[in-house]
Amino acid sequence: MNRAEPETSNITEMLREWSDGKREALDSLLPLVYDELHRQAARYLRKERPGHTLQTTALIHEAYLKLIDRRDVNWESRMHFFAVAAQAMRQILVDYAKAKHRIKRGGDNIRLSLAETMSVVEGEKGVDLIALDEALNKLDRLDAQQARVVELKYFSGLSLEETAEALHVSRATVGRDWEAARAWLHRELSK
Amino acid sequence: MPTIIREKWSEIKEIFYAASQLEPAERAPFLDESCKGDDALRREVESLLSSSRAAGNFMQDPAIGEVADSISDEIGKFHANKILHHYKILKLLGAGGMGEVYLAEDMRLERKVAIKILPARFAQDPERMRRFVQEAKAVSALNHPNILTIYETGEIEETNYIASEYVEGETVSERLLDEPMNLKAALDVAAQMASALQAAHGAGIIHRDVKPDNVMIRPDGVVKLLDFGIAKLTEVRSGSIGSEAATAIAAHTQTGMIIGTANYMSPEQARGKEVDARTDIFSFGLTLYEMLSGKRAFEGENAMDVIGAILQKEPIQLRHLAPIVPQEIERIVNKALRKDREERYQTAKDLLVDLRNARQDVEFQDKLERTAAPLQGHSDTQIDDSGTRNIPKTASNAESAAAGIKHRNLGFAALGVLLLAAIGFGYWFLFDHSSNSKQIDSIAVMPFVNEGDDANVEYLSDGMTETLISSLSQIPKLNVKSRASVFRYKGKETDAATIGKQLNVQAIVYGTVIQRGQELALHIELVDAETENALWSSDYKQPMANLVSLQSEIARDVSQKLKIKLSGADEKNVEKNYTENAEAYQFYLRGRYFWNKRNEDGIKKAIEEFQQAIEHDPNYALGYVGLADSYIFMVEFADAAASEMVPKARTAIDRALKLDDSLSEAHASSALIYRNQWHWAEAEQEFKRAVSINSNNPTEHIWFSVYFRNKRQFDDALSEIKRAQELDPLSPVVGANVAYAYVLKNDLISAVEQSKKIIELDPSSPLIYELLGIAYLKQKNYQQATVEFEKAVELSKRTDSRYLSSLGYCYGVTGRRADSLAILKELNEKYASNKANGQNLAAVYAGLGDKEQAFIWLERDFDRRSFGLPEITWRFAFDNLRADPRYTDLVGRMGLPQ
Repeated sequence: MNRAEPETSNITEMLREWSDGKREALDSLLPLVYDELHRQAARYLRKERPGHTLQTTALIHEAYLKLIDRRDVNWESRMHFFAVAAQAMRQILVDYAKAKHRIKRGGDNIRLSLAETMSVVEGEKGVDLIALDEALNKLDRLDAQQARVVELKYFSGLSLEETAEALHVSRATVGRDWEAARAWLHRELSK
Repeated sequence: MPTIIREKWSEIKEIFYAASQLEPAERAPFLDESCKGDDALRREVESLLSSSRAAGNFMQDPAIGEVADSISDEIGKFHANKILHHYKILKLLGAGGMGEVYLAEDMRLERKVAIKILPARFAQDPERMRRFVQEAKAVSALNHPNILTIYETGEIEETNYIASEYVEGETVSERLLDEPMNLKAALDVAAQMASALQAAHGAGIIHRDVKPDNVMIRPDGVVKLLDFGIAKLTEVRSGSIGSEAATAIAAHTQTGMIIGTANYMSPEQARGKEVDARTDIFSFGLTLYEMLSGKRAFEGENAMDVIGAILQKEPIQLRHLAPIVPQEIERIVNKALRKDREERYQTAKDLLVDLRNARQDVEFQDKLERTAAPLQGHSDTQIDDSGTRNIPKTASNAESAAAGIKHRNLGFAALGVLLLAAIGFGYWFLFDHSSNSKQIDSIAVMPFVNEGDDANVEYLSDGMTETLISSLSQIPKLNVKSRASVFRYKGKETDAATIGKQLNVQAIVYGTVIQRGQELALHIELVDAETENALWSSDYKQPMANLVSLQSEIARDVSQKLKIKLSGADEKNVEKNYTENAEAYQFYLRGRYFWNKRNEDGIKKAIEEFQQAIEHDPNYALGYVGLADSYIFMVEFADAAASEMVPKARTAIDRALKLDDSLSEAHASSALIYRNQWHWAEAEQEFKRAVSINSNNPTEHIWFSVYFRNKRQFDDALSEIKRAQELDPLSPVVGANVAYAYVLKNDLISAVEQSKKIIELDPSSPLIYELLGIAYLKQKNYQQATVEFEKAVELSKRTDSRYLSSLGYCYGVTGRRADSLAILKELNEKYASNKANGQNLAAVYAGLGDKEQAFIWLERDFDRRSFGLPEITWRFAFDNLRADPRYTDLVGRMGLPQ
């Protein structure tokens, strides 16, 4: 705990530090974004009726508006923000999955929510986010960019175009990464 | 993963993607071409292609769909009427970043509680959770009136929850929705907040998230600070944790920053530095600023803006937003808001002192406005040299006084001048409300408020209150609430109607005392509890030297206004102050002030003061009574040896009785000494004498009740303690004794009813659990008794040897020998430092079935003439010893019936 503390928790500043390669900046940033996203998600769901298609992107956008000063933010930090948000979003959703897993394992008392009854589409098997999260860590070591693509596209709900923009690469590259990642992850989860 | 794949991954990826874009038939030739005989490469690509075909819609819809139900579940996780453990959920009170709060009913104790469900992510770090719980309990155990009491923490369906006192009311942020608070209300809330912080900081606990949302105001004006230390759960360590950065969210922290509303952060929090007590002071400053101005000190469109402002900008000066705010208060706010914490108030205590002074000045100024205004213009001519009385006032003035409090910015500089003008003449008024004609037969004297600039003369305001209570108690047929009942209102602003209801009285006396130099000014008001109308009020101004006659005068005036016809003798009693010497009287008041602190320091100081009182007036009977009471308390609260103190007490009390045999207090103290010496007949005689002179002193009835209990006269014990309760309805200790008396009479239903009342009075009192434990002991349900005593021990932080003793007994009876022995060890240590008596150890041995040791320890108490030893006649822990001849012998030697 003797590490030097960051001089500021200014978010834009932290984003810049992070993009300059300062890993610690991300560690400070993530929780802030995590919390804001979480709040937005809760707010969103309170307003929307269960079963409504969830627009993850909208959540991130809200969080973005809340956390970032639009006046002096450039395009680049906006993209950085999305990258951070994607990681946070991944963490949030995996946390929810873990919580849900625990409850399913343990409790009989939990009320089956309306959303749950409505979202279970017949015959379709959902994705095990906890297993996916682990597989994604492996993929990260193999190909970090693919992992980022998955975070942005799948966890944050961005389109391929938006993902490409956020990662500063071409749409085609993202398309390739995405398909390969999907195949790779699916294989991992089927093991 | 084979190295080959890792090395060739980008190649694999390219080939895979290209192949996937081809028609199936074209794929094989393409792969032949691309892989050029590299089998491993080809196998990997084919494997991915087949996985891709099988994947279908895998990951095509965003991940959030997988957990949407969980997210919505977290909003209002529990529905009404859901049963969780012994709680029944009634409704959702609110939800936020720190979780959801439900109103629930504790079905076991039949009371309402607030249950906070913490967000699941908090649970990911059990160690942090544990520390939070520990801290939350510690702060709750401070039992501070302005800190939310936590009953229990635990897990429900793998969710962490906190059950706490349910506080009805509104938060400061809700209160501020419409308009800023008025000056007095804001200062009142601020002082209570500061008091809570002072207590918490004293225990080494930082709140970390002081803000208007976390301050609750009850309808009666009592403020509760919520969510102590909870912010710690969301703190994040700054610094790197490695690639799985997100785990930082749940990481252990020492330093860190708070996630949440940025608006109330301190600069050091915003910087992610370590926080300390001064952090709370800054956030407190922001809250006070907002209460006074209705605006946040630091605002911004987003968190970053706000943080920037906190770090760099100064808030708009209060005077521009709220011109009524006096300079002194602005100074306090500014000092709390210094960016450099070294320049802030260093302790909540300093802050509280300044706040209280400022509040007193505001209140005083207010009073001046009320009283001086109508008299302006003729003040020069109407100053009455004697300074005591009386300029009639008109009803309209009285009404303006009753209309309450207005705030004008007169400035503190003008105060002194006004003060001199105002106290130059007293006045009184009486106006025609129908209630005035009815006779008042019950009354409560609120603790006089010390409005002087010297906080050290609190003994004077407290003492004058006590003297008035004691004088009025002399009046037959007048029910005067005891000191203990009324002093719980000290420092709080409770309206007359509430007090009237709580204490069941018709009228209330309010008083303020100001001592400036050698001059004493008093304002006394008699208020009808039902209508809240002032029945009468009067100002007095006297040199300190006239203190004694002033007290008599007040007592006489009040009793006259009560329209009670007094006989000549009664009147004499009412007016008697037992000394003509003002200095002696002051020492006496100071002595009682310290005596009431009931701790070692206080009692030692009390002895000095009483000795001074006697020195100034060697014939001052009450001075000797005070001295005797202090010696007895030295044994009870300062662990002094009975053998040394009892003779001293006896000498003092004999002297008092010789000086004034009609003094009820003296006979009561004499009875207490006899009781503690096991001289039962003499004790009873003295108790009876004391009560016959004055039956309005609850303390005497409590002492008398214990006497009966020791003699196993449980009916008499009950009636005495019930009388004490009539006089002192709000005391948890008296309530507990009533319940105990019911248990002894085997009337468990009434005992439970009583216990519920105690819960209302003091929800966190270990007494309740002790009582429950005793009730279970009575039913020989040792398992359940164990649980209750464990709780009592925990709540008393293992300091109370009696609870420990009962618990050790239960452990022994239920075969938990090791636990029992551990408690014996603990008690042994306490015994060595006089913090436990032999009886406490004997009870544990009795539980273990070791009668030999039990009697050895009881005999030790006997040898030391331990005050508490007669308790063995009714404590259930000794039931198993009663058939033993050694028991009969011991009880016989104490002069008690067997």
